[in-house]
Amino acid sequence: MSEILKSRTLQMVVLVLSFLFVFVPYFIDVKVLTDFSTQLITIAAIISAFTLVLAVYSQFRRGYTFVHRRSRGWIFKAYMMTSIVLMLIFAVYSQTSGPYNWVMYAIITPLSSVNYSILVFYMASTGARAFRARNGRALLLLITGFIVLFYQAPFTGAFFPQLTPYSLYITSTLVSAAGRMFLISVTVGAIVFGMRVLMGKETSILGAAKEEK
Amino acid sequence: MVDIIEISITAVGAFLAICMFTTLYGKSNPLYALAEESYIGFGTALTVIWNLLFIYNTGVLGITQAGKYALIFGILFGLMVLLRVSNKYSYVARIPIAIAIGSQFGLALRTTIFTGFLDQIRGTILPLLTGSTQQMIYNWTIALAVILMLTFFFYTTELKGPLGVSSKIGEYVMYAAFGGIFAQTFMGRLSLFVGFMQNYMVPPWKIPWLLGSLIVVFGAVIVLDRMHLLEKLTPEE
Amino acid sequence: MANTKPAGKSGYRYLVEYDRRIIYLLIFILVLAPLLQPFILPIQVSPDTTTYYNVLNGLKKDDKVLVVFDTEFSGYMEIQSGIIASIRMMFQHEVKVAIAVAHVEATGIPQLVFDQLASVMQEHNYVYGVNYINLGYVFPNEAAVAASAQDFHTVVRQDAYGKSITGTFLDDVKDWSSWTLLSDYTTGIQSTALINHYGLKGTPMIANVIGVMISTSAPYVSSGIYKALLGSMRGGAELEYLTGYPGPGLTAMNSFTLGHYMLMIAIVLGNVGYFGYRSYQNKLKAQEVK
Repeated sequence: MSEILKSRTLQMVVLVLSFLFVFVPYFIDVKVLTDFSTQLITIAAIISAFTLVLAVYSQFRRGYTFVHRRSRGWIFKAYMMTSIVLMLIFAVYSQTSGPYNWVMYAIITPLSSVNYSILVFYMASTGARAFRARNGRALLLLITGFIVLFYQAPFTGAFFPQLTPYSLYITSTLVSAAGRMFLISVTVGAIVFGMRVLMGKETSILGAAKEEK
Repeated sequence: MVDIIEISITAVGAFLAICMFTTLYGKSNPLYALAEESYIGFGTALTVIWNLLFIYNTGVLGITQAGKYALIFGILFGLMVLLRVSNKYSYVARIPIAIAIGSQFGLALRTTIFTGFLDQIRGTILPLLTGSTQQMIYNWTIALAVILMLTFFFYTTELKGPLGVSSKIGEYVMYAAFGGIFAQTFMGRLSLFVGFMQNYMVPPWKIPWLLGSLIVVFGAVIVLDRMHLLEKLTPEE
Repeated sequence: MANTKPAGKSGYRYLVEYDRRIIYLLIFILVLAPLLQPFILPIQVSPDTTTYYNVLNGLKKDDKVLVVFDTEFSGYMEIQSGIIASIRMMFQHEVKVAIAVAHVEATGIPQLVFDQLASVMQEHNYVYGVNYINLGYVFPNEAAVAASAQDFHTVVRQDAYGKSITGTFLDDVKDWSSWTLLSDYTTGIQSTALINHYGLKGTPMIANVIGVMISTSAPYVSSGIYKALLGSMRGGAELEYLTGYPGPGLTAMNSFTLGHYMLMIAIVLGNVGYFGYRSYQNKLKAQEVK
């Protein structure tokens, strides 16, 4: 049994069959195939949810190493592991009230809010220190950037409406075109990568490297 | 009259959030580590809780209430995936991973071809002669900009002659677009920060907690820095 | 530039080599100060926001709208003005609203929205299960989105509070075609999956995105998948202005304005310092050669 489960060939066959049973029914309207496809997709959704549960193991493993070695600041890792256990206990009582709710609004949501908002500081300091009009391209970047920034600032946008057509032109055409171009490039790349995985040329995604270590 | 629970939520939230902002000071410090480990710990547990609930609602209830017995395989394969952490039995997770990846590729590829490729090309091929002058200028700009920018990314052939010229123009068009993208990105990040600050300034009784946290936390970091204690108290990476 | 050590002193040098923490402090002050005494200035409404407003205004009583909070809590901080203004319009049009969440941090958002719109819900007699429902975390991955689009009740059997959805207005929902509108409030977690499995099939979609996603979401508007797009806090403020209910968006616009001006001034000063310092260094070199 273990030899069967270890087989890379079987893994590739299962991968390709799963792909086909999800991909093909989308284009062929046969009820039996569509129902089977829906069931398979739901099974895949459940499997993917289980993989996220592994996050607890990886955090505990990391934390335990620090605590065991008594590395500098090990107490923080002990606190982290305790917080995981506490939150799981709180959730058993209720996910919509009580200590779970308190942790949600007092700890998780403020820290999540700060996570990405810190980037504005780095963007502003980088913009101030790195954006130099050294050549024509950089100057063009600064000019279009300033036009859009002026329009976006509500005060100037409202009191100097002359900027509006230029800003709308830049955002509706150039910015949209760049977005479209990146989307097309990324999609082509994703399709090529998908084909490589289905042909067995990309084994890293199947976890081969970790096991072979 | 604000109740004690709300005050405690605001006080602790403001304190931890400002602790996270201490990374702007430029040096690692224990208060930032406290905020970081809080987020990692409680956030990980949150992810696990809601995913377990999803598995229960979709999988377990799907079997017991809706009679969809095929979902037993979902639970079974999911449990097999958990063996990935074992050095001896990690091979057991191969088949479920293959099913999940194969299905995800099928889902992505069957629609991405349309939304990310065909529809985008269709959206670029716009009528170049229309009644409205403004619309004509917009359509010409979009069509030309996409084509010129794409030629800049041709790496498989030497860019000379007309291709070289279009690539050069495409590069300038791209820089112009980047200016607009930078402005929109900055707007987005600034909005995140303004939204966060608003959360701790409305209603007004929250303001002293925010300002107090700012003074206490940054004061502590500056004092610890002056006493050369920052590195000693900061956890190892 | 940072490696050169000129002999003389120059004020331009300071504009190039100042401590970046000064910029951080300035941003803090310029955002904090207007929020201490907020006042509302007029705002110019963009065509995109007008289109978004018109789509919501076209909703009729008892239409079914699937609202997806596809965002971490940090994203909610940015687009909450758009969320509150949009859902207020939905409640005012007495549509049936089902709220689904695609990120664990967003599980707390529905209650915050209901608390802020409690008066509107009371005014229009909104009853849980009959007019609105909170489904909780039902879109953890693309497979769940796809399965719900093909057969909604395969994925969703209970609401966020553990109660069965049987007997609610969701009994009439079968698949993607059952929804009048899908309204996605997103930082990009499952937005592509929703486009691929709902929008592409034919479910009318609108989206309220964060600022960094505006350029990559705009192509979906021109290709017709999104009927309308609302961008960032600025778009939310414009929508508040159109609906006539000022909220967090409009009150934040002063901080917004000052933040933008600060960046522009900092870039200009940086360039003045750079070119001034370069010219100063060239003069010094010329003097040394003589």
